[in-house]
Amino acid sequence: MANLKDIRDRIKSVTSIQKVTKAMKMVAAAKMRRAQERMEQARPYSRSLKDVINNLLPEVDRDLLPLLEVREVNRVAYVVVTSDRGFAGAFNTNILKIAQAEIDAIGKDTVDLFCIGKKARDHFKRREYTIIDSHLDFWNDLSFSDAMTIGDGIIGHFTSRIVDEIHVVYDEFVNVATQETISELLLPLVFDGSESGSKDRLYEPSKDVLVKSLVPRHLNVQMWKYLLESYASEQAARMLAMENATSNAEDMIKDLTLEFNKARQAAITTEMLEIVSGAEALSG
Amino acid sequence: MKSFPLEIVTPTRKIEESEVTYARCPGLDGEFGIMANHREGIIALAIGEVKATISGKEEYFAISGGFAEITKEKVQLLVETAEPSTEIDSTRAEEALERAKERFSEAEKDEDRAKESQERARNRLKVSSH
Repeated sequence: MANLKDIRDRIKSVTSIQKVTKAMKMVAAAKMRRAQERMEQARPYSRSLKDVINNLLPEVDRDLLPLLEVREVNRVAYVVVTSDRGFAGAFNTNILKIAQAEIDAIGKDTVDLFCIGKKARDHFKRREYTIIDSHLDFWNDLSFSDAMTIGDGIIGHFTSRIVDEIHVVYDEFVNVATQETISELLLPLVFDGSESGSKDRLYEPSKDVLVKSLVPRHLNVQMWKYLLESYASEQAARMLAMENATSNAEDMIKDLTLEFNKARQAAITTEMLEIVSGAEALSG
Repeated sequence: MKSFPLEIVTPTRKIEESEVTYARCPGLDGEFGIMANHREGIIALAIGEVKATISGKEEYFAISGGFAEITKEKVQLLVETAEPSTEIDSTRAEEALERAKERFSEAEKDEDRAKESQERARNRLKVSSH
């Protein structure tokens, strides 16, 4: 049986680990709420933008913009959105698994990768995939301009005709308990083109110019959405993982305390036995 | 004078004003004004300044490009960034302009973007002076 000091030390260390996991859980919860708020703020903008483009697109020529060009697919790009840090349960593992499966199905050699977050970069670098660019260390003060910078590079890869399709793999934040890994086609743009009634509206300066200026903005806000969804999901996953860790630590402390008490009693019993038999030997 | 609701919507915030009688916006080919009962339409916006008469008081906003959606019910400006003149820190705006200028002289390949960020910085500085 483990001796008393060992058990006491373990209880101490588990207790301090529990303190850390508890703190991490609370931090993750606060960050998640913020991310959720920002997602809600971004929604009206992205929805209106999408509506307007949807309305305009059937009426303009697809040759107007390189971004609308549908080409024969020879080479594709994948954007994989993960976190920089671990301790978030299976969050990164799930995304990487799905991304890798899709990329391998197409063929590693015809896929260019954009890695967002350290975990994706490390994973694909180790396996020697073609990484064009990676973006790390921006999650903590995530801003819309990050989305624009990241988006520019990725979109440039498409407009310069290096790749013919761009896919994005990210985690969508459904609610606190569920996040869903999603693989989505970003470019070329596909719109259902459902016309919500051609109104007698003024288009200034012209429909073509509007589409030209709106489509890049739509992509920026799309990128922003990916980042926010992923960030909220990461924090939710971390929150859950840390909650589990905290309750596991609780169980461990309970078991160890029981073991500690047993060991203590056993020690007392032995000592008493020794005393009694010593006294008997003397009086005998 | 008749008023209309004006919303300035960006990916990170939403500014709502209900008692607006007049709004002057930067269009791509020059400025235009909106008053109540304007014809419905979608108008592209450039980087520039929005002047709005809100409850009789004039207020200024720095916006970067987007578009204005005018409907019977309201006017929505969908732009990438929007800041009321009161929120712009002019010293910071000045610094940003300096940085943008530096980048412009360095950047040869990304001239368009450098030009744009310079334009944005200059616009913020201009609006902050109101």
